[in-house]
Amino acid sequence: MNSVGEGCTELKREYDQCFNRWFAEKFLKGDRSADPCSELFLKYHTCVQKAIKEKDIPIEGVEFMGPNREKADS
Amino acid sequence: IKQWLNQIHPWETVTKAAMQKYPNPMNTSVFGVDVLDRNVDQRGRLHSKRLLSTEWGLPSIVRSIIGNARTCTYIQEHSVVDPKEKTFELQSTNITFTNMVSVDERLIYRPHPEDPEKTMLTQEAIISVKGVSLSSYLEGLMASSISSNAGKGREAMEWVIRRLNTEIEELAITARGTLRTPMAAAAVTEK
Repeated sequence: MNSVGEGCTELKREYDQCFNRWFAEKFLKGDRSADPCSELFLKYHTCVQKAIKEKDIPIEGVEFMGPNREKADS
Repeated sequence: IKQWLNQIHPWETVTKAAMQKYPNPMNTSVFGVDVLDRNVDQRGRLHSKRLLSTEWGLPSIVRSIIGNARTCTYIQEHSVVDPKEKTFELQSTNITFTNMVSVDERLIYRPHPEDPEKTMLTQEAIISVKGVSLSSYLEGLMASSISSNAGKGREAMEWVIRRLNTEIEELAITARGTLRTPMAAAAVTEK
């Protein structure tokens, strides 16, 4: 699957691979350890945000919380 | 529009597959999926915000109104996975063409109440069309498209699940032929 930012697809794939592995093997099995993908996500995220700005995509209210930051219940 | 569908796989399998749903041969209009944000809340639930980039074939009658220019539409999706309660809930809405049409979808995957080895999907879509005189035509078109998409959705899940199982098989074959790595060993025991 591609990214909306053509140059971000490779970064996306690396992050996805890391996330999918953690999701299936840890998270869904009740393991509460944080995912090891923060660095990959940051690189990927920076690239995508740039693409979104360039393409003028009207994203609603997304603040970068980061994959491991605990968030208050909304 | 409300639909209930049964998947014959356990909730964990379906959730894994649903998280990696695209690409699949049944949803060719989705050409991009991006994670905008992700975090785990205090209740241990995983929140994900994603952007779906789609190119849907608009009927020519609509093209003649909005012009051929852009048929690319973007959808923003917010999902929550609760591994304790075993629910995977997704909500999505289009963020482009909002002045014309609004398609809000809500999907919830949870273990089937009668058979915990199966998964039940509840799906709801609310479509509103604004300020277009062909509103009933368009609504009818979208409603039937969403209905047939629901069946396609199940096929799509089956396809992704088969693909994931094949990957595990391939890893197992590699492990038998070479030195075991921890990853391959985990895949073999999972199977």
